[in-house]
Amino acid sequence: MTDAIAISNAQLRFGETAALDGVSLTIPQGTCFGIVGESGSGKTTLMRAVLGLQKLDQGEIRILGKPLVHGRAALRERASFIQPIFQDPAASLSPRSRIRTLMNEVGTVLREPHAATHERLAVILGRLSLPPGVIDKYPHEISGGQARRVAIARALLMKPSILIADEPTAGLDVSVQGDLLNLLQDIRRSQNITLVVISHNLAIMRLIAENAVVMRAGNVIEGGEVGSLFGSPQEVYTRDLLAAWPSIRAVNTKG
Amino acid sequence: MAISLRDLSVDYSLQQGTAHALRGVSLDIKKGEMLGLVGESGSGKSTVAFALMGLLANNARVTLGTATIDGKNFDLTKRNATAALRGRGMAMIFQDPMLSLNPVFTIGTQLGEVLRRRAPGSDRKTRVAMAEDALAKVKLSNPARRMNQYPHELSGGMRQRVVIAMALLSEPALLIADEPTTALDVTVEAQIMREIIGLRDRVGCAVLLITHSLGLVTEYCDAISVLYAGEKLESGTVKAVQRQPGHPYTRMLFDCEVPIDRERHADASQNSFTVISGDLPDPRRRPPGCIFNGRCDVSFAECAVVNPGDYPVGDDAGHSARCLRLATP
Ligand SMILES: Nc1ncnc2c1ncn2[C@@H]1O[C@H](COP(=O)(O)OP(=O)(O)OP(=O)(O)O)[C@@H](O)[C@H]1O
Ligand SMILES: Nc1ncnc2c1ncn2[C@@H]1O[C@H](COP(=O)(O)OP(=O)(O)OP(=O)(O)O)[C@@H](O)[C@H]1O
Ligand code: SF4
Ligand SMILES: [Mg+2]
Ligand SMILES: [Mg+2]
Repeated sequence: MTDAIAISNAQLRFGETAALDGVSLTIPQGTCFGIVGESGSGKTTLMRAVLGLQKLDQGEIRILGKPLVHGRAALRERASFIQPIFQDPAASLSPRSRIRTLMNEVGTVLREPHAATHERLAVILGRLSLPPGVIDKYPHEISGGQARRVAIARALLMKPSILIADEPTAGLDVSVQGDLLNLLQDIRRSQNITLVVISHNLAIMRLIAENAVVMRAGNVIEGGEVGSLFGSPQEVYTRDLLAAWPSIRAVNTKG
Repeated sequence: MAISLRDLSVDYSLQQGTAHALRGVSLDIKKGEMLGLVGESGSGKSTVAFALMGLLANNARVTLGTATIDGKNFDLTKRNATAALRGRGMAMIFQDPMLSLNPVFTIGTQLGEVLRRRAPGSDRKTRVAMAEDALAKVKLSNPARRMNQYPHELSGGMRQRVVIAMALLSEPALLIADEPTTALDVTVEAQIMREIIGLRDRVGCAVLLITHSLGLVTEYCDAISVLYAGEKLESGTVKAVQRQPGHPYTRMLFDCEVPIDRERHADASQNSFTVISGDLPDPRRRPPGCIFNGRCDVSFAECAVVNPGDYPVGDDAGHSARCLRLATP
């Protein structure tokens, strides 16, 4: 089967900064792929490049076997099967329109009657523990974690075959985080969706991804099957990440 | 400086009616202590922070609430009640870093501005040195270059650290940090927590840490308060609450935490996560009885009719929770 995403030797500079310094990776269809790494290591830049929002200086990106094409028409066509969830949820919500309007747009794009879109939406909102009333609010009238969930709901509503999520669980309490992850797992089991998850949360990454890479300064420093990657990490940085995990276990066992 | 917040109640008016975001929330932070404020997304944590800072949205109204900050009393129902403390006495690290950063000024200009307010007599060179030092402390690489960059040239986590550096430089008496480290890896997070604790111990400030990371709270905070649907359900020292959670919600929340060494199914799509099932109550019409009834795993008949008071838990002074199971008949 063709890979969902194949990146070879991606390079991109911003002035003095090599944001991507020769990144190569392949993401098989129907799997969950994790990207962890230092802040500023190029994770978001890589995501933007895959979405065609950022041109590479060098290198190649293939989506479902086809080379990435730039331009408005290509961008629109891609939106029908690849959906992003951005790190900053406010960026994907337009401040001047109610959340209902945002969701209606999905129906328009999919040429689906609004009633059908909202029926699917109600299910997603319920699964993400969002009260149905949120759709009548403006983005500034909801909390940070609610905004993230709204952005996620919108992306899922598009029924993408590839979902790229940048820190999807940031700002969510642990129960709602569980709701989201269980929903994504259900979608994976029932549809052939490819998930790309960028996250600092290694505890979660271990449990949802098949494969992952660790990035540092524009490079992939190590990668592979998650069990062995986090089970016996080779790089110091990866080991530090696992060692610095703030754990609550210590006191739970105390008398 | 010690902070005590009493009976804070905040409403948001909406076209569809008035939502009660906070109902009678009281918090205490002792001088030189860090309080971890945790709870459901949407439970009102940021609203508490905004109310203290006097930065609530236009459609918000404080219906009740007073704050005692460093011995002075403030009536929070008055607009701008704490304005005199903003910037100098209180600093806030916002959940969204772009709320604290001005997109048209360089990082250096914005840090310099904070220092000009804190140390009016200082010369430019000293301020630049102090600003670069602050950036290095939050582990930003190449501080000298960052000074000349604009916010959009930085990654999400880099921006968050600039905002933290700004807050540290202002040496506030009350530091409110709303999810300060969500965009950061745990090694940087640990460094930042050390810096915040360093500031706390150096200037003796009180810190309100809003977070979803129970690991952070148990590792770095002195005390914890738990919010749910606009009400405070439990508070106490971290040790006491962790050893013996008085409220079922607190216990269930801790049970949702995902340990880094949890057993892993070889087929990743088969791993599932613990959640607290059930729906949040409608913020416009509070149901009678306990606010957690309906999601609680140990509820009984009375829970639907009697609104629990705040009962002591165990023998640890200051540990209390609002659950009828704690009421001694
Ligand atoms: N528009 C831009 N102009 C200049 N530099 C940029 C721009 N966008 C990103 N960079 C730089 O590129 C590097 C990679 O940034 P990127 O946002 O991809 O990091 P990241 O891995 O997503 O980090 P984080 O975990 O903090 O979100 C950083 O050094 C950043 O400063
Ligand atoms: N300006 C507003 N108008 C109407 N409702 C609002 C407004 N701001 C917040 N709310 C609502 O008030 C409640 C509390 O919001 P708040 O931002 O304080 O939550 P939070 O605990 O900080 O959540 P999170 O963890 O997701 O950031 C939420 O249900 C939110 O939707
Ligand atoms: S009062 Fe009843 S419903 Fe509420 S937390 Fe206690 S047992 Fe559960
Ligand atoms: Mg990023
Ligand atoms: Mg918040």
